[in-house]
Amino acid sequence: MRPAAQSLFAAALIDPERPLPEGITAARGKAADRRFAVYRNTVTVTRIDALAAIFPAIERLVGQEAFRSLARLHLVEEPPASPVLFEYGAGFAALLERTEPLRPYPYLADVARLERAWLDAVHAEDALPLDPTALGAIPQERLNDVIFTAHPATRIVESRFAAVSIFSASRGHRPLDGIRPQEPEDGLVTRPGHTVEVRRLAPGAAPFLKALIRGETLAAAASHTLASHPGFALPAALSVLLEAGVFTACTLLPARME
Amino acid sequence: MSNTTLISASALASAVAMALTGATVLASAGSALAATEKCYGVAMAGQNDCAAGPGTTCAGTSKVDYQGNAWKSVEAGTCTTMSLEGGRKGSLEPLERDMPA
Repeated sequence: MRPAAQSLFAAALIDPERPLPEGITAARGKAADRRFAVYRNTVTVTRIDALAAIFPAIERLVGQEAFRSLARLHLVEEPPASPVLFEYGAGFAALLERTEPLRPYPYLADVARLERAWLDAVHAEDALPLDPTALGAIPQERLNDVIFTAHPATRIVESRFAAVSIFSASRGHRPLDGIRPQEPEDGLVTRPGHTVEVRRLAPGAAPFLKALIRGETLAAAASHTLASHPGFALPAALSVLLEAGVFTACTLLPARME
Repeated sequence: MSNTTLISASALASAVAMALTGATVLASAGSALAATEKCYGVAMAGQNDCAAGPGTTCAGTSKVDYQGNAWKSVEAGTCTTMSLEGGRKGSLEPLERDMPA
């Protein structure tokens, strides 16, 4: 199919108001409008089902009916960019954020970001987490210049809301009783073995880990974080870093030339 | 560089030391995690482990017993040694045998 014909076909697939794409016929040249409508329906339902499988916590929180309306909006606004359906839904959180009726539930977008990050982590490349002894083997006086390599599954979602607690409760089919949505929570998503883990990070740990992921040295990341978050607990953040498998390796920054 | 740094080298060293002491407990938890391996060709139909998500062949989707490309998490070191029906062996790599028709 020519590219122009392809884009007309794709547009007609998600918009029932559009005419049957040119050149589409049934056997022996018969009209194919109804057949194309069946195909359009299958595509739509499959994409909605895919979004429901990617965002089960959101579906539970807003209810199935509302979820399917939101999913339908998303697939018109942002059809899949990849033929791989488990990569779908990157913009779904943003849609939740700007949907007027969802204003009273501003935490939904960050819960969706955690769900998307969870699935990214599931499908990330296998890699062994950093062995704590590798960090222990670095001479104390060189620790300043340690840099880390992020694990392919590592994702960080910073939230002004209790996104991690709400995510966990909804995925665990537990009520939201006792969760204060306005409490900020940063989430860490990792996959140290074959199972994805989601943790709530202490204040400052998210910017600290993000700085390390960007390639800042241990001293620079710790200093910047202490400057912006005076209560930041560095030993606890380092324990989480090791326990959760945030990184795969640590090395020394090569000595700078003067 | 070091004169603009807020954290002293000794503070950093003690933080790392504390984290590593804590991590000895965690290392055992970590080794429990590490003590499994992906084992292909050993799961009964519908009992395989897998990544979740639409558009994938996933957990609980294997069609036949001992399906060669379906894996299950097993205790490390047991995958290739466990005995299976019909003289089959598990494998750390996907297998061609027992594929669904």
